[in-house]
Amino acid sequence: MASGESPYKRTTYRYSPLLALLLVPNSIIHRSWGKFIFSASDLLVGLFIREILKLRKVVCTVSVMVWLLNPFTFTIGTRGNCEPIVCAMILWIIFSLMKGNLSQAAFWYGLVVHFRVYPIIYALPIILVLDSKLFRSGPKPSLEDWNSHTSSTEKKTFHFSVRSLFSRERIMFGLISGGVFLACNAVSFYFYGHEFLHEALLYHLTRTDPRHNFSIYFYHIYLHYERQFSAVEKLISFLPQFTLQLALVFSFSKDPVFCMFLQTVAFVAFNKVITAQYFVWFYCLLPLILPWSRMKLKWEGILCIILWIGAQTHWLLWGYMLEFKGVNVLLQLWMASLVFLAANTFVLVKIIQRHRFSPLFRQYGSSDGKNVEKLD
Amino acid sequence: MGSKRGRSVIAATFIFFSMSCLNSISTTQAGTSMLDSDTFCISDQYIMKSYFTTQSSLKESEFRNFLRLQQCSENIPYEKDVPVVAMLQHREVTGEGSHRHLLTTIKLLRQSHLHELVIVERLPLGVFADPFELQSLQQRRAFSDVSVFGDTDLEQPSFRSNRSVVEIHVEINGNGEISVELPLHARYQLIGESGYSRVEFGEPDLFLCSRHVPNQEHQQRRCLVLSVGRSKTQTRSVVWDIPAGIRSHTEYVSVITFVAAVLSAFSILVASVLSSKVESCKNTKEL
Repeated sequence: MASGESPYKRTTYRYSPLLALLLVPNSIIHRSWGKFIFSASDLLVGLFIREILKLRKVVCTVSVMVWLLNPFTFTIGTRGNCEPIVCAMILWIIFSLMKGNLSQAAFWYGLVVHFRVYPIIYALPIILVLDSKLFRSGPKPSLEDWNSHTSSTEKKTFHFSVRSLFSRERIMFGLISGGVFLACNAVSFYFYGHEFLHEALLYHLTRTDPRHNFSIYFYHIYLHYERQFSAVEKLISFLPQFTLQLALVFSFSKDPVFCMFLQTVAFVAFNKVITAQYFVWFYCLLPLILPWSRMKLKWEGILCIILWIGAQTHWLLWGYMLEFKGVNVLLQLWMASLVFLAANTFVLVKIIQRHRFSPLFRQYGSSDGKNVEKLD
Repeated sequence: MGSKRGRSVIAATFIFFSMSCLNSISTTQAGTSMLDSDTFCISDQYIMKSYFTTQSSLKESEFRNFLRLQQCSENIPYEKDVPVVAMLQHREVTGEGSHRHLLTTIKLLRQSHLHELVIVERLPLGVFADPFELQSLQQRRAFSDVSVFGDTDLEQPSFRSNRSVVEIHVEINGNGEISVELPLHARYQLIGESGYSRVEFGEPDLFLCSRHVPNQEHQQRRCLVLSVGRSKTQTRSVVWDIPAGIRSHTEYVSVITFVAAVLSAFSILVASVLSSKVESCKNTKEL
């Protein structure tokens, strides 16, 4: 890109041209510029985690350490992967929402969806939490004080009325983020045309990779690769993912951080392709939900960690046999992905069961004297 | 008289066959017979670059025709080159798994004033070379020049990709023996019954060329087609068995995959709904 060419000349480049632009100093200043940026973003994520928890009146050094000292996450940045930037943007969006900066949150949301398509799954919980009873742009929203040791008397889910669906805040958020997203895409399309559309957007939406990866679908895709899948087949394989995302949103939207965490884990686990870098997407949200979990490290926490890592290691052993020893273990590798899905399901169910549900925002109407007494 | 002539014919035939047998090298001409001079000229840095400007397939016959047509211009002095024979001393695929090396050892049996050996490796369907990896090898001086032509998509499985060609340029040093290790990677193969797909490597095309002078793009370079002989030990063909999907797995893999997805999604869904109900029960109790 530094010499004026398209970044898509490299056949495996599948990101926004903004990322390539960010990395141009690699050719000009120093070849490790990108890694410095990603590592700095990694530290920024740690800072955001601390600030978000402070806003919720929680001091939890362990949570921050879970991100900063996680060997997987800091090596992701140092090896040159851009995920820490995406995580920093997501956390900044959460932070902005908590501070009441709607336009800022919307701007960064539009940008992050252009950058990496997956944050589109957060659209629904964010829109839902912008309920006018909870959030009004301008005055700072009042955050639920969970320290008062009382559970909220409100229902977990939102009441719907057509009028509230199109509240001012929701429309504003939609317009700003949609506008930013379209503007970024328009500029990229102007410079790089259809190549940008195919490589950076459509590829991710239609990606079916037959090469072995953690997903349970890889062998099914490989065995059917000679013939294309019909629309019905594609729909059927998308149904579990879609249904689950909707169910999670409608169950937990008042606690959007917890909702986003569950959605991300589920999205990754049921995706057609799973590579290890996708785990970072929920690693950055995990510290934000830990303070509300009743799960103790001994022994339930340790069991979850061992099961999840163990299932991955098991898969990797078969992957090693296939790729580096040349032995046909495709069937065993596929079964290892089923085991990994089972481990993901188990851990997710346990986290749901042990979570102390805590809505992010307090209802405006109820922040007067009446309810304050009740909360005591 | 008749018997004398007959005996002469038999003797001549016998001598002819003896001389053939005494020759321990079974020489095989690389391709069909060339014109009397096996020399041609190209204007590009790479032979294959010139080839792909006019051709698109990797058929042997088309390649031979192409070489036949690359006449040298008049300002290139004509020299009757003494035919140079190269011996393919060793050729094998080393390593394990999906990432291996194609090791080729060539010995030139005669000196020549042309100092650059060009190896054109037409890769079979099913394997590919990574252009970025080869570039870094070139930077580390493993080759003086290297380029990949044809289908260089690193991600496509075998039946969706086309073949590719690697052209390697190596400087010839004093002893005329060159060893080249080309890193190759396996593509995902067509599914079959046995679980493995066999990929077979043919012989490379070898040429001796004059050195490429940079910044003189249209300067013609002379190249000589080398006749390649195989040593006695190198008689078996070079093969690579790559794991491939098994067709009989198709039905039950699809069904079990879908059932697993539904069961997992259902468990998480139930846990979510139950968790919501538990919380609201708690709330009503506290009221």
